[in-house]
Formats: sequence, structure tokens, C-alpha cells
Amino acid sequence: MLIAQTPFKRQDMPFMRGVIWVSRPPVSPPPGASGQPPFIASSLDEGAEVLVALWSDASATALHGHVDMGTGLRTALTQMVAEELSLELSRVHMVMGHTSVSPNQGATIASNSIQTHAKPLQCAAAQILQWGLDQSAHYFGVSVSDVLYGEEGFHVLATGSQAMGLHDQASQKRALSWSELLFDQNIALQLDLNAPLKDRLAHRLVGQAVPRVDIPLKAQAQLTFVHDMRIEGMLHGRVVRPPYAGVDSGDFVGKTLLKVECESVSHVPGLRAVVVQGDFVGVVCEREEHAEQAMKELVVHWKSWPGVGSLQDTEKALSQQAFAERELINEGDVQSALQGADVSLSQTYVWPYQMHASIGPSCALAQWCSDEEFKATGTRMRVWAGTQNPHVLRADLALIAGTVDASVEVIRMEAAGCYGRNCADDVAADAALLSKALKAPVRVQLTREQEHAWEPKGAAQVMKVRGALDKEGRSLAYVFLSAYPSNGAPTLALLLTRLIEPVAKVYEMGDRTARPPYEFPHLRVRVQDMAPILRASWLRGVSALPNSFAHESFMDELAFEAQVDPVQFRLQSLSDSRAGELLKATADKANWISHTRPQQQARDASKASEAAWLKGQGVAYARYVHSKWPGFGAAYSAWVADVQVNPNTGEVHVSKVVVGHDAGMLINPQGVEHQVNGNVIQTTSRALKEEVQTDPQTGTVQSLEWGSYPILNFRQVPVIEVLHMPRQDQDPLGAGESSSVPGTAAIANAIFDATGVRFRNPPFTPDKILAALNPLGHESKPAGAFKDPSPIGLGARVWGSKAQVFFAKHPLRALTLKGVAKGIMGFGYQSLGVMSAAFLCALGWVLYGPNLNANLLLNAPVNLSMYGPKMIERGAQLALLGNCQGCHTQEAGLLNAGGRPIPTPFGVIYSSNITPDAQTGIGGWSYKAFERAMREGISAKGHQLYPAFPYTSFKSINDEDLMSLYAWTMSQTPVASEPKPNTLTYPFKLRGLMKIWNALFLEQTPPQLDNPSSALLLRGAYLVNSVGHCSACHTERNLLGAEKRGTQELQGAYVNGWYAPALSVNNAAPMPWSQEDLYRYLRTGHTEYHGVASGPMGEIVQSWSGVPDEDLLAMSAYLGAKMNPAGLSDAFLQSKAKERVDASKLKEEVNTGLSAGQRQFEGSCWSCHHEGGGPNLLGTNASLSLNTNVHSATPNNLIQIILKGCPSPAGKDLGFMPAFKDSLNATQIKNLVHYIRGRFAPEQAPWTKVSEEIDQVLRAQ
Amino acid sequence: MTQTVTIKVNGQVRALALTPQASLLHVLRNDFELNGAKYGCGLGECGACTVLVDHQPARSCVIPALGVGGRSITTLEGLPLLNALASLDPLHPVQRAFIDAQGTQCGYCLNGMIMMTVALLLKNAQPSRQEMLDALSGNLCRCGAHVEILKAVELSVQYTRELDGARDAQSAELAKSIPLPLKTNMTHGPTHGPNLGKAP
Repeated sequence: MLIAQTPFKRQDMPFMRGVIWVSRPPVSPPPGASGQPPFIASSLDEGAEVLVALWSDASATALHGHVDMGTGLRTALTQMVAEELSLELSRVHMVMGHTSVSPNQGATIASNSIQTHAKPLQCAAAQILQWGLDQSAHYFGVSVSDVLYGEEGFHVLATGSQAMGLHDQASQKRALSWSELLFDQNIALQLDLNAPLKDRLAHRLVGQAVPRVDIPLKAQAQLTFVHDMRIEGMLHGRVVRPPYAGVDSGDFVGKTLLKVECESVSHVPGLRAVVVQGDFVGVVCEREEHAEQAMKELVVHWKSWPGVGSLQDTEKALSQQAFAERELINEGDVQSALQGADVSLSQTYVWPYQMHASIGPSCALAQWCSDEEFKATGTRMRVWAGTQNPHVLRADLALIAGTVDASVEVIRMEAAGCYGRNCADDVAADAALLSKALKAPVRVQLTREQEHAWEPKGAAQVMKVRGALDKEGRSLAYVFLSAYPSNGAPTLALLLTRLIEPVAKVYEMGDRTARPPYEFPHLRVRVQDMAPILRASWLRGVSALPNSFAHESFMDELAFEAQVDPVQFRLQSLSDSRAGELLKATADKANWISHTRPQQQARDASKASEAAWLKGQGVAYARYVHSKWPGFGAAYSAWVADVQVNPNTGEVHVSKVVVGHDAGMLINPQGVEHQVNGNVIQTTSRALKEEVQTDPQTGTVQSLEWGSYPILNFRQVPVIEVLHMPRQDQDPLGAGESSSVPGTAAIANAIFDATGVRFRNPPFTPDKILAALNPLGHESKPAGAFKDPSPIGLGARVWGSKAQVFFAKHPLRALTLKGVAKGIMGFGYQSLGVMSAAFLCALGWVLYGPNLNANLLLNAPVNLSMYGPKMIERGAQLALLGNCQGCHTQEAGLLNAGGRPIPTPFGVIYSSNITPDAQTGIGGWSYKAFERAMREGISAKGHQLYPAFPYTSFKSINDEDLMSLYAWTMSQTPVASEPKPNTLTYPFKLRGLMKIWNALFLEQTPPQLDNPSSALLLRGAYLVNSVGHCSACHTERNLLGAEKRGTQELQGAYVNGWYAPALSVNNAAPMPWSQEDLYRYLRTGHTEYHGVASGPMGEIVQSWSGVPDEDLLAMSAYLGAKMNPAGLSDAFLQSKAKERVDASKLKEEVNTGLSAGQRQFEGSCWSCHHEGGGPNLLGTNASLSLNTNVHSATPNNLIQIILKGCPSPAGKDLGFMPAFKDSLNATQIKNLVHYIRGRFAPEQAPWTKVSEEIDQVLRAQ
Repeated sequence: MTQTVTIKVNGQVRALALTPQASLLHVLRNDFELNGAKYGCGLGECGACTVLVDHQPARSCVIPALGVGGRSITTLEGLPLLNALASLDPLHPVQRAFIDAQGTQCGYCLNGMIMMTVALLLKNAQPSRQEMLDALSGNLCRCGAHVEILKAVELSVQYTRELDGARDAQSAELAKSIPLPLKTNMTHGPTHGPNLGKAP
């Protein structure tokens, strides 16, 4: 290990030995830059800021206050320092953004780290080498110019030694090492920013393609990311954010919390604390999954809050915002020029809110230091963070810790790429707050949803441009106005706790690159500074990128008016020669086709599939000018984009981008190339796809995952060709963002070239393009596009769901019989013999009469020896077949100990304990009691059971099987567990009522098989209709909860929000069921022709893993005969399925994102549910074109599965599906459901009332 | 209510008492202290958490740990074990290819890209460009390193082919000299053990 890699603190430097180091005094606050966020000054008592230290082993520590956000900055800075020290790269250890040692260089912004902030490091390194040269020259007795530093150390140039002659001692020694020069000295130098740097021609590292230093570590999963930081005793924290997602100013911020029900998470294992302070709510647990669980299950009540209003119309929203206008430029006389102009034009360009959308949600670890450590070291809190602004964050953390800046140590570790500030600072503050509260180290990981919702966004922006041409068609006048909501985004925890006031600060920020790069004799530029609406921060290209989009689109529009080629038109008024050369070279490389009208070239019409596509080429140029107005310029960039537009679908494909780039001297050409590629891809993504979805009323952020905020996919990546201008003789210019700035305009201009239609409001999504290309509506609609479903109802609806809705809407009605009657009448679609006078007259006796049923409880334990092991084993199989544990085991509870809530329209029934515990279970039940319960619905004590317990089916179980079941029941391990009492509504809580119910329904004729033709079918019928009790779910129930017999038997029904499909010819599956297929489904929970068993059926199939084949074969034979009376063979199914899937595959439009629903599907579902064009992930991927639920009459099951996922599939090879209930809103689910239906079940009518069904399922949660 | 599950990760078998809320990702990161699989979305949308379950790529964030009892999990850290024989390189050829092609920018999605490439090459040693795109199309990269990633996949194909050639030659050589089962040669292992993320 190098000495340079040994950690040290800045204060230690004067006491180190064998070192030469360069420092500068701590930075005092610069004179206030008005309109800009304040610069956080260094703490004076921390001593001088060390920049470079070189140690006796010839290794160097270089310290930089900025951070590497994944751009390769660390590597480039290492190159620069190693160059000036004449060391190998591997001997320079770069420490970035660690507040205890790194200098305070402010926030890592504006691609400025090399252009501006590398200079002190270079100078410091040069000073150190110079010191070494001076000392050596003195030692050798030669002039400094005759000494060189190389691999062997300091030595005298051959010519120098000959010319000057060396004294005896020195001549014997050929070279001096750093170790010999330094001994145990401590040489401290002051930074000299005028120190001469190496001649550029002598560079051997700078300008060379150097592999990134961090990639090998990352590819081997070594510790680099803050997410991977672990320390002893570390606890896991999660936060619960307020409902005003993405809003950080307004009086409600920090004051909206009403109440936290801490007891709601008292059951969570290892819960250490619920921390509440203002609107900040956090939970801390010993294990991460439990912290997540507590976050989800904690009941928090929030007050209502006003919202920020609708942001659906960005231009309108910004126009309603108060602003302060600044005039930046007023040259010539624009007014007169515009009035006198022959051609003038006025346009508005609108930029949407966009996201950093880091791939990794932010994470941090905070460690509250013990009092002893604080006394000894002065460090009160240590925080490992992925921050972009270590020193700024440190000041915020000090506020939370209640200490001074210098007592907080921020250790910057790598984080997922962000392109400005994401939630990295917020989560560091969250961790600090929780760590302080618990006096323990706490790691906080934000969820994907929290990162998406709360990351400070890239602000929306509106640009209005007016321009004019003179008689010769040359640029004459240009009036530019840009409106930009500010992006201060204070650290969230400070606002939520009201450690600072949530004041919407107005900064001067919208002016970056506000000046067009073109010469106009008359030029006026103004900007409207306004308060933030959504929480925002700098996002790659900041206000410059939207401003340039407007400039470069407008220049294209002017070129069109002037009837001059767009490249030529720009060159005419581009005064900066570097810019002109770049633009021309880029156009040449791209084979720019000079034109004055949109070319609208159809692709090779001879290829039918391509005939529809239009292609176009667009150009744009920009130099990113940033920082406080008038700012200074980073690298120059020009784009030529080739696009293809499908006028029938609106799809835009950017096929190729040629980027010219002039970043001056390239430190690491490979690094710059990667940055340019990254900028091109990200900008293409922003131009085509990206816009934050917001709530239409409150304006809160609604894009909480990747389906609702899609980004560019591998398939959509354009071919990229980069042209680097050879400028190694010039100073380096910031290259982190520059090549993104002209991109969107180049794409918009190319779309104009292809279609003749101008788009001024990115993202250029297919629906937007299609609407503009077909303003009067067009015949061709994208496949699977959401058609507004007709409001006509489905006709006859089943009872369960309607009753639930009715009683949910009118809870009081359920409380009275009158209400029930009214409820029943309200539906009025069935003749109700049940409501007969006899029923009403009998009520009084039944409800309040004595319990005449015998008590059949035993006095002594059951003698199990009378039942042989075979009988018990058969009983166990039958219990699995009947899935007893499905109802009699609560979630994560002990097997068959009861307590599972069973929601009914009449209230909640808690299942009983069926283990043989004498007190709380059925240990005291005689066989007679068991038989009576199973066949008559009467408990051992004599009270009526509710028919949620399907004794109506169980009464058909034969004696032998019933005895086996009893034997198995009594052989289980007893569990003492008293289930909760039922919470049924009056009058249903009166068990006596069930006597009437039984009189009406229990004695109905049991279902019969038509013409049983074999023993196998008879056996199947018996199992299905007795212990299997399939009808309990698959048969519709009447208003009193009894299964409808006769023609309605097994015709499908709703159960707790799921639809149990018809087990008859009326099954809605697109493929018929063969007997073999049924067997596969019952056995494995899956068939390739129908999909996966999930929800309640998934649990049943799991239970059936212990049921012997012969039982399942018999059941499949019986059900097969009902569902597939024609006896279609498996081979037939196979060919039919292939036909369907092939037809569906033909329609697969991979990642085209034509509609909101399709985009949601592609982002959220497609990886697992593609039709062959995607990854082969664990789990089955049967085509949704065969899926029963997608073809069902109602969308219930599809909605259920989307919301709840499939965490425990019926078989290990089926794959797992996550629940989307916390990630998608009702509109997003609706779009998704409609898309899936239209895409995969095109022959079925669109579902109606999807929104209502979603609401119902959500409410039932 | 905890249940005990036995999970095999990179050859190491452990029995853990877990509640149903624990995902495979939680267990890999917190119980096995592995850094490779990253939390990205918790919804299986982005691929940052990809691991191999019985050599098939899987999204560990959506897999309940109790659901993979008895199965064999391979993470980024375990890749060198897949080809410990025949290579003096402590890295898997796909890891080597991603380093050489500089196939990442910030590196957060890198795990998923490497694991998907490994899985692809396990099934198909000579994938076409389209098959590479298909395999990676479910993995997201925000920095825009797609160009370099695809180069890394192409390089992975080359390195894997070279290693297979070397392995064949080595097997032939070994068969001639010492007829021992090849798998006993595993002790060489990677020279850089995976850093478990302890405080430096």
C-alpha cells in the first residue's frame, strides 16, 4: 500500500514526517453573488486546505473538493496531477469530497471541475516537483534546468553533467529519490496559482486514453458505493414521506402531519424506533426488510393541504407564476427592426419537468459519535454520503446534529449517476436525523418511489422568441424571453422538521446560454425569475438546454423562412470561428444534405415494411454557457441527427447522431468520448420520452417508477459518431454536459425535415406526433391504443361485487334488516323467495330462541390409536385437497390455528382454530361433533356455523373420508390460539339466523353429473363437489350467500375481488381446456396455454402439491368433461396456441411506447411478459395472448395481480411478480389494463368501468 | 413469524431464519454481505439486482428469500468461481471484458449488465447483435453507457471463446498427465477476494 492511501486529517499535516505538501488558506465567503445560492465558507479553525501531498515513497495524495458522479473525473484529475508530478498514475491517490481533508471547492456543478477547479491541484503538483528539482540541482551542484525527474529519480541531464562537471560526492551518485530528498522533513508550501505548469508538448499522461480507475473495483463488487457501506451495529432506517410528493415550499411544508399510530407497527420484529419530528417520519429496525415493512405498515394521518395546482399545461402553469423580469441584453433597436422587417416570426417553446432518474435510489449511513470520541476527536457525527456537495451538505448536517460544521465529517462515496443533485443530500440528512435520535449508526435507503417523487427535478421552462429577417434573408432581430422557476431545493429533512423555513426562494437561474450564439444587429434578451413550483435542482444542461432548444429550433424556423439551408444559415451569423469550424466539420462528417425545404424523404419504398417511414436530418449547435450571468463557456458542441418518423403510428426513431465536440485540450480522450456518448443517449431519451407525470389537481409527482417515467432502451440507442476537434493547444473546457445542449433541437429539426411539422414541446412521444400529423383524426391508430370504452354496462352482473359496493356506499343500511331488504330490492333482479313472510315471522324465534343443538364436546382426549397411519395419511391428503389451511391459517401464522379474516358482505369472520387444542381448538370434539359440523354446520357446543365454512359441500364427503379427515385433524400438533371474534353486522351476528339459512339452502339437491360415464368421472365429480368444494368459489351466490344451483353451478363468480372463472364451456379463456391441460394446471399451477394460477387459486395449487396424482387426474377428467365436452386433444391445443401466439408476435412492437398504456407496459411489465424479443428471466413467460384473465369478461383478476403481484407462486419455476400497488396510481393502472386488453385480447370488447373496478379493489385493501 | 430457509450463494450454504418480507436481495446484501446485486427499483423493472438462480438470470429484488430455498444463487462476486479452472485471471471473462471495454459510466447498473451477459453466454456462446439487444433490453442504464456496454458484450463473446479454447487445451493436457477430476482444482480461486464492505 502506498503511504498516500493512508487516511489522515487536515489538522495532522503539520505533524507528519517525510512529506511535502501544498496548501491554501481556508476559503472565506466570496462577496455575495446576488441571485445565486450562497457559497458555504470553510471553517477557519480547520486550518489550511491541503491540495497535494507527496510522501517519501514517491506516492502522492491529491485532494479535490468535488466528487466523481460517474463521469470519470477522478481518473482525469489523477492524470493531471500525475502529469505535473511526473509520476505514474498508480502512484497518485485522489481523495474527493471528504470534508475532513478535501478542500472546499463548493458544489460539483456546471461541468466545471476540470476547467476551473483542477488548476489549484495542477499548480500544487508543479510546485512540489519544482521543489524537488531545486533541491536536487543544489545537491548535484548544477543548474535546475539540468535536472530531470524520471523513473530512477532526480538525475542530471547527460549534457548538463558533461558541460558543468559534478563535484565528487554527487558524481558517484547517479540519482536521488524522493525519500532521500525528504528524509523525515515536513515541507509545507503555500499554493502559488502562478506556478508554471508543464509544457503541453511534454505531456505524456494528459491527452492519453486512460482506463477509468474505478471500473475494475465496481466490476468486482468491491466497496465503492455508499449503498455498500456497512459498519458494526448498523441499523436500517426508512422514511415515510408526506403526501405533497415533490413539493418543498409553502406554509404546509413541515406542518401537515396529523398523527402517527406508532402501535400500528409494534408487531414488526426488531423495531427500534419510530421517529417523528414535524413532517419527518422515520422508522428504524434491526433488519432492512423489517424497516421496509414498518415503513409500509405504519399508519400515518396527514391533514389536507392546498396543492400547487395543475401542471398539466406547463405553459399556463408558468404564466400564472409571479416573476421578476431581468433584461440581460438590449442591443440595437429591436422594436423598430421588428416593425420594419419583411419577415418576422414569433414562437413559444415549452420544456417539461424532467428527472435525474438515477438508477440507484439514494442511500446514506450516519454514525452518531460517542461523547468520548467527540471529546477526543471533535467529531460529533460521521456521514457516508453520495452527495454532490460535501461542504454544503456538511453545513446542513451540522444544523441537524446541533453542532458546528467542523464537527461533522462527510465522507463522500460513489453513488448512482446523477446529472445534478438528486436525493443524495436528503437521504444523508434523514440518516443523520435518525442516527442522532437513536445514538446509533443508521443506514437509510430511499425507495424507488421516494427517489422518483422527491428528487429535485429539472425545472420546466417556457421560452418565447420573436425574430426577423432583413430583405436579403439575413438575421436582423431576435427577442428572447425565458421563464424559469428556481431550483434552490433545500435539504428536505431541514424543511420537514422546520429547522429552516420552507420559503420559495427566487434565484437568477434561467439565464444560462440565454444569449443566442448568432449575431443579430438587434438583440434583446430577458429572463423571468420565478419561485419554484415543483422541487428542482440543476439537471444536466440546466436552463441552457431548454434555452438552446428554443434558439436552435427558432434558427431552423428562420432558415426555412429565409429559404436558406439550415447549416448555411447558421454559418452566416456565427461569429466565433471555433463554433463555425465545428459546425462545418460536423455537417461534413454527417454527409449533410443541403436543403431549403423539409425533405420528407420516404425510405426505400421498394421495401414494403419500410415504405411508411419518413426520414429527416436536423442540425443544431450550442456552446454551454453557465454560471452567474453572463457566465462563461464550456465545450462547444454541434449535432446532426438522422431520424425516422412513422406517420401512421407517430413513432420517432433517432437512427444516427454525429456530434462535433470541441472541449479544448482533452485530458482523457476516452473519458470525453464516453461522456459525449452518454450525453447523446440521455438527451435523445429526454427529447423522445421524458416528462414527469403530475396529479391533475394537486400537481404532485405521479411518476414513481420506470413505466411512468420511461427512459431510452438499448434498442433505441442511435448510432453515434463523435468528432473531436483537435485543440490540444487550448485550455480544457468542461465536457460533462456540453454535448447534450444542442441535442433536442437537432432532433426536433430532423422531425420537421421528415414531416414538415414543427414540434416545440418535448418529449416527442408517438401520441403527440400522431395527433399533430393527423390534426383531424386519422384512420390508423396505434395497436393497443386505448379506446375510450363505451359507458354501456355489461348487463347482468353478479351479486357479490354489487352488494359490496352498495353496502360500502351505504354502511348504515347494512345494519338493519330493512336495509338489507332495501338493498336487495335496490338490485331487484331476482325473485327472492328467501324474503318470504315465513322467513320474517320465524325471525324472532330463531334469533332469540334457545339453542337446542346438543353439546357434543368430549370429556377425554380422542384415542388416536383407533385410526391407523394410512387413515391419517389419507386424511392429510384430503385436508390438502380441501385446502383447510387456506382459511384456517392466518398470514405468517401457525398452521390451522385459525384467525384468518374472511371478509363477507356481512362483515368479517375470523376462521376457527382446527388444531386439536382442547381449549381454543377442536381437541374436545368427538367424531360425531366433527361430522355434524362438516355436514350440518353446527359446532360441537351446538351453535350454528356460518356458511363461509362450506359445509354445504362437505356434507357430501363419504363416511370413510370424513373419518380420515377427523383422524388427521386430531393427530395434528395442538396450538393454543384463540381467534378474534367475528365482526359481523347486525342481524348477521345472530348465529340463529343460520337455522333458516340451512333450512333454505343446506337441503338443496347436491350437484349431479350428467350421465356419469366412468368410475374416473364419478370419482372426479365426488372430489370436486365434496371435499374440493370448488363451487364455493366458482359458483355465484345469491343475496343470502348461498351457492346458486342448477344451470348456474360452477359458472364463475366473484370472491373477494377475484373472479373465479366458469368451470364449464362458458370459460372465457381464449384457448379451450383439454383434460391433460387441466391436470397440468392443477398439478403445477401453470400451463403454457392458459397462464399461471395466482391469487386464491395459486394458494390452492400449492396446497395440492401434497395431493396424489389419481385425485387430480379424476378431478381433471370430470372438469375436462364439463369444460371441453368436445374432447379437444392436447395436439389440437398446441397448434391453436401456436397460431395465436404467432399472430400476437407479429403485432409485437418492441419498445415503441405508442400510448401511455403501452409505455407503462414496456417499463413495468415487458421484461417478463415480452413475446420473445426480451431477456429470458427466471420464471415462465407464457404469452398474454393466451392468458385467461386478460380474456375474462371483467378485469378484476388482472387488476388484482397488478396491484398485489405474485409473491408466492404455485411452483418454483413460475417466477415471482412484484406488487405495484405502491408504485402506480389509478390512472396508470387503468391505462395499463386497457393496453393489455387491447393488445393481447383484441377480439374481445374493451373492458368498461375499469376505473371503478380499480377503485373497488384499492378500497378493499 | 420466521421460517428457516437454506440458501446456497456462490457455493456457500447458509440456513437463515427469515420472515416472508425478506427478499433475496436483502439476504444477499445483509446476511451474505455481498455488494454485487444492487437495489434499483424493487419492481424488477431495471435489472440492477440481477443474480443467477440455478444459472438463470433473476431479479433478486422481487424474489422472496423463502422462495429460493435449496436453490443455487450466483452473484457478481461468485462469477470467478464459474471459471476458476483454465484461467489464471482472477476475473470471469465477462468481468474482464467490461473493464477492458470500459462498459459502464457510474457503475450502478454494471452488475445487471454483467450478469445478463454471463447468462446470455451460458446459453448461447455466439449471440447475434439482436440477441445481445434482446438480452439487455430489460436492463436500464441512465448514464447512457449503452455503446460501451454493447462493446463489452462483444468483447465478452471473444474472451469467453478464448477461454473455452484454453480450457479445452488444458483439459486435454490434464487428461494426459494427471487423470484427476477437474473440479478439485478450485482452491486457486480468485486472488482478490470480494470485499465485503467492511469499514476501511
